[in-house]
Amino acid sequence: MTPAHFAFSSAFMLGLAGLAFHRTHFISALLCLEGLMLSLFIALSLWTELFNLTHNSASMPMILLAFSACEAGTGLALLVATTRTHSTNRLKNLNLLQC
Amino acid sequence: MAPPIYSALIISLGLGTTMTFASTHWYLAWMGIEINTLAIIPLMSQNHTPRATEATTKYFFAQATASATLLFASISNAFLTGEWDILQTPNTLTSSLITLALAMKIGLAPLHSWMPEVMQGLSLLNGLILSTWQKLAPLYLIYQIQPTNSNIFITLGLLSIIVGGWGGFNQVQLRKILAYSSIAHLGWMILILSFSPPLALLTILIYLLMTFSLFSSFMLTRTTHINSLATTWAKIPILTISTPLVLLSLGGLPPLTGFMPKWLILQELTKQDLAPIAALAALSSLFSLYFYLRLSYAMTLTMPPNNPAGTLPWRLNTRHNTTMMSLTTTSTICLLPVTPAIMALLPF
Repeated sequence: MTPAHFAFSSAFMLGLAGLAFHRTHFISALLCLEGLMLSLFIALSLWTELFNLTHNSASMPMILLAFSACEAGTGLALLVATTRTHSTNRLKNLNLLQC
Repeated sequence: MAPPIYSALIISLGLGTTMTFASTHWYLAWMGIEINTLAIIPLMSQNHTPRATEATTKYFFAQATASATLLFASISNAFLTGEWDILQTPNTLTSSLITLALAMKIGLAPLHSWMPEVMQGLSLLNGLILSTWQKLAPLYLIYQIQPTNSNIFITLGLLSIIVGGWGGFNQVQLRKILAYSSIAHLGWMILILSFSPPLALLTILIYLLMTFSLFSSFMLTRTTHINSLATTWAKIPILTISTPLVLLSLGGLPPLTGFMPKWLILQELTKQDLAPIAALAALSSLFSLYFYLRLSYAMTLTMPPNNPAGTLPWRLNTRHNTTMMSLTTTSTICLLPVTPAIMALLPF
């Protein structure tokens, strides 16, 4: 495993752990999701620089950025919708569907 | 919802799955899956009720995490082998990570926790789209991995069959029961995937037919609880004949269609010298049969001593469009005798 691979893998794993173990706020989960996407952006850019020396797929990180922005927008819209319906963004309040 | 927005979302839903089906590059497949997720979120939350919003939020988190993990595994594969081709994914750690990410996408155990709650909060039509259309793209990718190491698939499959049966034991809400039934059926599918991919394709097709038929029956009477199932006899009596047969077909009883995939899977597993796994899978699907039987019992085999449910509703002429429902219900009940013809159609 090259140092670059290790770097973005550990960044991704930290973000994933943050997303899996978030406990109180909705928005901290969204931030971890953004961190995941950022580590993947760096990973794609590094791949283009290190391995794809013809740079013929150098647009991959930019497309990832576009999709990540769409996903972040969707997440924020859901945050607003949750705050409107559940009156808070605490995750313990999302307990309507258990029964 | 305004018609232009609604049609744009439906077209995006189709576009996402089509992109994934048409791709040989992992990146394009990931993009198709992302488009699918983004397109269904507004459809799921268009009700603006608290339950729908909560279901959409949980669905969004599960799917976004799984998509990110899928892309991470693809990029790791590109770093390690330099390949982005889907058919050329050799069986390393990254292939297992891709399988786990796709398993979370479709709701296999042990990554299934979001599925019952999300299904519970959605309307029946959205639940139908979630159980049928949204599963197609990830299942296609799992099918294409063409694994040779079967351990992870057997583990996912057996766990899903057991969890899908055991989890549905105590449920009275129909959408949660349908979620657990989906987990169990996809468990059967992924159990056989490493041994005979065409059989997995057969299982998923039969499952889609049966689920469509059951959801259509529930949409016709707009029932979401066993209590309202019990009054179906007063509204649409023919459903008390067809729906129990569909439920028993989901449970895998001969001579109904649902027996076909289970039979062929057990036969294939026995041929591969995995008879204990086959026995465990067959015994675990008895759990699911129990709650399907309970639904049939509530619908058909109970009759109140007086007739309050039959006295109140007006018998008006309603125009239900039952084309797809009748086609899928007939297929769910009557297709077992044509098993050789169906097997001839698949690339065995």
